Amino acid sequence: MRAAIPELPQARLRELTDHYASAVAEKRRQLWLGSALLVGAVLAAGWMGDVDPWKFSENFWRFPAYFANMVPKFSFTSAWADLSEWFWGLPRWTRLLGDTLLIAYVGTLSGAIGGFVLCFLASANLVRSRTIVFLTRRALEFCRTVPEIVFALIFVLAFGLGPLPGVLALAIHTMGALGKQFAEVVENIDSKPIEGVAASGGSWLQIVRFGAVPQVLSNFASYALLRFEYNVRGAAVMGFVGAGGIGQDLIEAVRKFYFTDVSAILLLIVATIMIIDFITERVRHHLIGLQGAGT
Amino acid sequence: MLVVEGLTCRFGTKAAVDDVSFSVAPGSFVGVIGRSGAGKSTLLRMINRLADPSEGRILFDGVDITALRGRELRQWRARSAMIFQQFNLVGRLDVLTNVLMGRLATVPVWRSLVQLWPEADKAVAMSALEQFDMAQIAAQRADQLSGGQQQRVAIARALVQEPDIILADEPIASLDPRNTRIVMDALLRINKHFGITVVCNLHSLDLARSYCDRLIGMAAGRVAFDGAPAALTEHIARELYDLEANEVIGGAPVKAPDAAAIPALGSVAA
Amino acid sequence: MIALNSENRAAIAARHPEIFRPSWRRRSMIVTGLGAAVGVFVFGIVQLDIPLNRLSDGIFMLGGFLRLMLPPDPGSWALALTCLHALGETLSIAFLGTLGGALLAFPASLLAARNVVANRIIHFLARRSLDTVRGVDTLIWALIWVGVVGLGPFAGILALVCSDFGTFGKLFSEAIEAADKKPVEGIQAAGGNHLHGVRFGLLPQVIPILLSQVLYYFESNTRSATIIGIVGAGGIGLQLAEQIRVLEWQKVSFLILLILVAVSAIDWMSSRLRFAIIGRRAIA
Ligand SMILES: Nc1ncnc2c1ncn2[C@@H]1O[C@H](COP(=O)(O)OP(=O)(O)O)[C@@H](O)[C@H]1O
Ligand SMILES: [Mg+2]
Repeated sequence: MRAAIPELPQARLRELTDHYASAVAEKRRQLWLGSALLVGAVLAAGWMGDVDPWKFSENFWRFPAYFANMVPKFSFTSAWADLSEWFWGLPRWTRLLGDTLLIAYVGTLSGAIGGFVLCFLASANLVRSRTIVFLTRRALEFCRTVPEIVFALIFVLAFGLGPLPGVLALAIHTMGALGKQFAEVVENIDSKPIEGVAASGGSWLQIVRFGAVPQVLSNFASYALLRFEYNVRGAAVMGFVGAGGIGQDLIEAVRKFYFTDVSAILLLIVATIMIIDFITERVRHHLIGLQGAGT
Repeated sequence: MLVVEGLTCRFGTKAAVDDVSFSVAPGSFVGVIGRSGAGKSTLLRMINRLADPSEGRILFDGVDITALRGRELRQWRARSAMIFQQFNLVGRLDVLTNVLMGRLATVPVWRSLVQLWPEADKAVAMSALEQFDMAQIAAQRADQLSGGQQQRVAIARALVQEPDIILADEPIASLDPRNTRIVMDALLRINKHFGITVVCNLHSLDLARSYCDRLIGMAAGRVAFDGAPAALTEHIARELYDLEANEVIGGAPVKAPDAAAIPALGSVAA
Repeated sequence: MIALNSENRAAIAARHPEIFRPSWRRRSMIVTGLGAAVGVFVFGIVQLDIPLNRLSDGIFMLGGFLRLMLPPDPGSWALALTCLHALGETLSIAFLGTLGGALLAFPASLLAARNVVANRIIHFLARRSLDTVRGVDTLIWALIWVGVVGLGPFAGILALVCSDFGTFGKLFSEAIEAADKKPVEGIQAAGGNHLHGVRFGLLPQVIPILLSQVLYYFESNTRSATIIGIVGAGGIGLQLAEQIRVLEWQKVSFLILLILVAVSAIDWMSSRLRFAIIGRRAIA
């Protein structure tokens, strides 16, 4: 090895290292302060949230035990019989899963349409009236912030048990979430086409239709698909509050300790969600590749 | 007859256009010159009502344009076709649909929204594209075209608006010399053959001298010169452009094509 | 000037038949697509047996609830305090759940990132297990953990840890895979091994992104934490479900108001922090 770097005189070296140390000291102090704050917050939250490591370690064996309970008795000599006993409710569960998917679909589509209509009113680059933009935004935020299951709880009282409150709850929440995301997309579009259409004498609807929509459509579709994925998960638990779908059977099985039923239903839900995710991801990649070939 | 009276536009406290008055006779080709920031764009945008005047009036054939609202405003926008420096096409839409944007003020709204354009309007749009040798690319997306092609699409859009006046805001600033020629010749021909008034913002003094019948020089939002190109002396020009003077003056003078020699639109090569 | 007589129009139409012949292929594709979407929608409504006639009655009833909700009112100081305590529980659940999920997900995401672990089998297994965990909703995890550690907020924390483990694992591994590989090459070119490359080339790039994603999810987790009380896993959801069940509408609206305020506050705080960390508005 050849030394291409000359050795520094001690004084100079000290000066340089001190300078470096003082430069990073500030950063380090911030890091310490941040860590201290974090630890404080963790302790406070732990106290608030009844975290009890002792109870946790004492009870942790129940977690694997819970899952062990869920494993059905299964032997290879009678595989088919065991399997059909495990999934004894398959016809009913597939129907309920189908219902769950339909609830997610109908809710997502209605919500997406609502969000599509409202997002343009919530975009400051398309609407001059600050009041309309402000009010639409707040309404969308309200729909987004209240969890869908809370809407479902209330809707069950108004519309009765069944899929209808589930669909409505998902639709309203989706409208808020998508409307907000859509509006962010619209606010970032290129303003030149908008001006071009306006300067030719287009009305507000025409400006939106020809200046804005072609720019955002593929993005919107991608967001809507993502929301559909999310809503399938949401629809799967709507049954917990009586709003339709597979959730009803799941919560019943859990409450009554039918462990193998729980595992069978969970497996079905997870498989369905994986398939849906796989398909929508494919479609979204296709959409991104396409980037809206005109409308 | 376009009449501008005491037109002022303020952004905050700064007056982008300051007490501007002039009138434009039908059929003239007026060039608006001045350095960047002088208020040229703001002036044209106010005439098309893309920007709202703070004070003053705009009259066209005796009608107060500044007072128009709703449907009447949109019809005025169609009558005063705007051509932009950046073309302002809808990149995601095809060329024909972009040209059809010029018919928005006349086509029934529901038909336009579902893209069921009347045959007659499609024919007009195709005819305009043919005049610029672009009928072959009618189905292409606008953002796949070159700058020169895009600006010709924008001019076709302006033409199908059947405008009384064309407002061109530095239409050639993003183009190469050859396309500059094509676009300016197209404007000149539209002006001379169809008698449509053209008001054109230009940065380049040489181009303005060779194409326009009349020049309006702006500086700091005010009219600093108004007269025939011949009356614009070197001295006035230097005052108008200040530091930018050497950059806009002094190039090889562009030969002004006389009216008889203006190429027919159809002969423009793609 | 450009107005065409019928003769000219016919000539133009003849020259460009493809423009004037309505393009049935394109149009039928659009109509088929829309028809399919609407068809599934209608099928859904029929299949789910949705009583459309109940819609108007239900909306009328909702209007009644809404009138009863105003103004929001906890009724008594004692209840207001209980609600605030429940809100504190909810925030704790969200905070610890997010933190725990992120801490557990980080090593898992390294295993699931192709540019960290080249082994395809490990990569595949890590991905699928994360997907499985992610496929189970927070509410279901809450249900399971209530069975293990009993009712209360602790079960909620564990539920959020589990579901965030899946979500963060996927997000983190995607962010790591999207990282620029030039710094890693630089370090390996200087004689570092693979681990050095990950530690000094990869992590400094992705840590701010991961932090911003965690902060972004803090808000959505606050919303999840408000509802797990419905299955007994602590927090404000328990109160909410209870008050809805006994039709105390003013208390319900008070609780919803609390949730709105809390979520907005967290949203504001997390976007400020994200801004401080990566210097611009982040998209998770
Ligand atoms: N929307 C706007 N908001 C604020 N200031 C503006 C706006 N548009 C133009 N201006 C200002 O008005 C002045 C004139 O601009 P402009 O009309 O674009 O000049 P020109 O077209 O001659 O270059 C400039 O100083 C510009 O900064
Ligand atoms: Mg300008």
